Amino acid sequence: MERRPRSFYVLAAFFGLFVLFLYGPILTIGILSFQGPQGGLTFPMNGVSLHWFRDLFEQQAVGDIWGAFRRSLALGLMVMVTTVVVSVMAGLAFRKRFAGSALLFYAAITSLVIPSILISLGVGLIFNQLGLKIHWATSGFGSQLTWTLPFGLLIMFAVFNRFDKSYEEAARDQGATSWQTIRHVVLPIIAPSLIGVALFGFTLSYDEFARTLLTAGSYNTLPLEIFGMTTNVTTPVIYALGTLTTLFSFAIIAAFLLGLWIMGKRRARLGSDAGKA
Amino acid sequence: MAKPKVGYSRRSLLKAGGAAVAASALPAPMLWAQETKDIVLRQFGTGVSNLNDVANKVKEDLGFTLEMTALDSDSVTQRAATQPDSFDIADIEYWICKKVWPTGNLQAMDVSRIANYDKIVGIFKSGKLNEDSEIAQGTAPHTVGFIPEPGATTFADEQTNWMTLIPTIYNADTLGIRPDLINRPIESWAELLNPEFQGKASILDISSIGIMDMAMVCEAMGEIQYGDKGNMTREEIDATMAIFTEAKQNGQFRAFWKTFDESVNLMASGEVVIQSMWSPAITAVKSRGIPCVYQPLKEGYRSWGGGIGLSQSLSGMELDAAYDYINWYLSGWVGGYLMRQGYYSAVPETSKEFMSENEWGYWFEGKEATGEITSPTGDVLAQAGEVRDGGSFEERMGAVACWNAVMDENQYMVRKWNEFIAA
Amino acid sequence: MRLKNRHVLGWLEAAPLALVLLAFLIAPIVMIVIVSFWGATEFSIYPAFQFDNYEFLFGSPVTYRVFWATLKYAFITWALTLVIGFTAAYFLAFHVRSLGMQVALFLVCTIPFWTSNIIRMISWIPFLGRNGIANQTLISWGVIDEPLEWLLYSDFSVLLAFVHLYTLFMVVPIFNTMMRIDKALLEAARDNGASGFQTLVHVILPLTKPGIMIGTIFVVTLVMGDFITVRFMSGSQSANVGRLISNDIALLQYPSAAATAVVLLATVMIVIAILLRFVNIRKEL
Repeated sequence: MERRPRSFYVLAAFFGLFVLFLYGPILTIGILSFQGPQGGLTFPMNGVSLHWFRDLFEQQAVGDIWGAFRRSLALGLMVMVTTVVVSVMAGLAFRKRFAGSALLFYAAITSLVIPSILISLGVGLIFNQLGLKIHWATSGFGSQLTWTLPFGLLIMFAVFNRFDKSYEEAARDQGATSWQTIRHVVLPIIAPSLIGVALFGFTLSYDEFARTLLTAGSYNTLPLEIFGMTTNVTTPVIYALGTLTTLFSFAIIAAFLLGLWIMGKRRARLGSDAGKA
Repeated sequence: MAKPKVGYSRRSLLKAGGAAVAASALPAPMLWAQETKDIVLRQFGTGVSNLNDVANKVKEDLGFTLEMTALDSDSVTQRAATQPDSFDIADIEYWICKKVWPTGNLQAMDVSRIANYDKIVGIFKSGKLNEDSEIAQGTAPHTVGFIPEPGATTFADEQTNWMTLIPTIYNADTLGIRPDLINRPIESWAELLNPEFQGKASILDISSIGIMDMAMVCEAMGEIQYGDKGNMTREEIDATMAIFTEAKQNGQFRAFWKTFDESVNLMASGEVVIQSMWSPAITAVKSRGIPCVYQPLKEGYRSWGGGIGLSQSLSGMELDAAYDYINWYLSGWVGGYLMRQGYYSAVPETSKEFMSENEWGYWFEGKEATGEITSPTGDVLAQAGEVRDGGSFEERMGAVACWNAVMDENQYMVRKWNEFIAA
Repeated sequence: MRLKNRHVLGWLEAAPLALVLLAFLIAPIVMIVIVSFWGATEFSIYPAFQFDNYEFLFGSPVTYRVFWATLKYAFITWALTLVIGFTAAYFLAFHVRSLGMQVALFLVCTIPFWTSNIIRMISWIPFLGRNGIANQTLISWGVIDEPLEWLLYSDFSVLLAFVHLYTLFMVVPIFNTMMRIDKALLEAARDNGASGFQTLVHVILPLTKPGIMIGTIFVVTLVMGDFITVRFMSGSQSANVGRLISNDIALLQYPSAAATAVVLLATVMIVIAILLRFVNIRKEL
């Protein structure tokens, strides 16, 4: 093994500090969420307990955390499915270089870079002027899509840039219709990337705040509820919530990674079967 | 078709023995029990009074479901003004009512259906606490509490049969201080801008309330003589903002806060030693064992009041249920709950029945506590022998200098406020 | 015939995206532009065609200060995230040798990103406060005698939070482009006698430019559109354009908020248009 240059150790130290910087605050709230029952939002610790986690599962003085969690979960899944389907379709469309594709592309880029609060404001105003009710599942859903779809689309670009067209050509040569080509050749190949799109779609929605702020209506999503809690709650229960939501995010990522891994396994096995046959 | 009839009989029942029924908090009559349990009323308001405990008690006593959404003052205004369909019951402050009422999103309430109307304190009816009290400046509740007839979008000058909001909760606000970090008596609003507290002062970032705190300070400093603090001229607004902008640029303020809890955290962590504050925030700081005083000041208090308004879209059984809710609200249980947090109930005498003698003495009469004083959630707030900051109800509410206000020049003020925050 | 078919199929496949963007992006922008000419009362907005909102906006010195502050935040955050993000990505791509380790460390970097932004932000407060961990540690080490006031509720804390929240948006695209650099190029450079530093400047940096540009676009737009970080971390003492807008919204002054939004959108789009001249996003992913 080649000896590491000195720059390696300097950079490794830098990277270590960077990771510490990323995790420091999360650790802070992780620790503070174990505050004793009399503890406050800041140090020093006032005893150690699971009090605030228990408290989280009881009804709060104001608000409805678990309702918000359920809504965020439902909304996240809705956005996830829509994002995957719409991005794949759009990704396929862009490969055809149809008339107007440049325009649509710039619209998607605009959607990505536009300050979120403008979407919130604009959608809120439209619903208001049309006399429609804003609701997290309608206006909130649409507003979040303006954030997740461009992401999904960019990932699809990345995927199709690396996509070997010869597979498709082979399928077509053997007489597959274009739908069959997509269904049996293209989709299976890009499937692992779709998990990435799904993961992005879900987490971007699950964490989305600014675009949902003025478009969620009567019922809060989880980030809005957390925002409300920063203004309504003076106890470490908010940190307990933070710790739990972080763990939940970890679980989601783990589930997706597991999915990827299983898929890889299956593919490897199928691949070897094909070899035998 | 049967509904209005049933509703009517319910109404006459309330008229006859309403006070008794409501005060003893009996479950709703059997005639109703079947249908009421399916009723859902959506209430929103600030975290101050949108408490889940209240919703639970409503379910228990009245049978129907109350869904609570807690928001900050600005969001509350916004929702009341722009999303009339998103609520049935609006729990708002009187100054918000002044802004929102003209939108027609709320419906007036029939005073004759309010059982305890006669017992509501004078502040909300004539504007006077006692016969000889002076009416404070600003948007005093009685000035926006009545309208001449149902459907009117302007307010009546005197009591009528149609109320905009049913008063539920109010208090007298002043500056909160950390006596352990200040170590000397504070007597005037002017101390907020004292360079001694540079980088350790705070004021709230809610324009309609903050401007009044500013006015109290500027007046106390002798810098500005206001014609009417509650209705400033553009020149007065400019002068007030100029003084505070200068202080801000000199680093007088550590932070601005927008909600109750931010103020608690600022004070409890020692970031700030003197700031505008709300009463329960003081108790929240105290309950952590940190000394904090709600300092009575010689210039008097800045007061606020909140009430419940009904959405224009409420009708039929839901409307009747809402009236039941209001009558229940004034019948004492909620009042007692709120008073034990340091607020005042609009109908103190009914609340008395839901408080111990010690609690009533401490919170309302300004007497020494005879035993431990605890919050509704069980935190110890005061020991035996302690006295409430500012004293009794009459001493505190009698020394109100101004109410939170919406001025004629409000839009100008708001823009100036925005500039002040950005400066 | 075949050409036409291609277009039609393309349109059909692109239709859902186009519809969503039309309804929730284009229409809201149009609405904002329209409303920016409307008038407002205390509680409602009414259609009009007046320039009052723009007059007030451009007539106030505060506007210019706030736009300047916004650009300042964006620029400083950009510079910091670029240096930090580039260094971290460089380490991952060229100094970590096994792919497995690279992926693992990359995941380590991305995981905090999945936690609520608001919670990550407010968790700095107990750390930086007057009696926070940072001050107490420094005092116990004897580095300082008095707590440092500028750690919290200052431009410093705002920038710190920005860097903390958004560096990842720099790391990911830069790492992505670096991984696509052909290692043979580096060897060629070394064989020709280039020092490590020369390789970095003359080979890696130019090849990484697309990634840097994509990261830049993310960071700059996120910072310019932010309204919540500045409020929390400056204790409401500082302002950027996003806060100006959200304050107006909170006070129901929608037309005024819309006018500010139009100017902000124009500013962001100009910045992005300039950046896009340097990179073809579609090719570089």
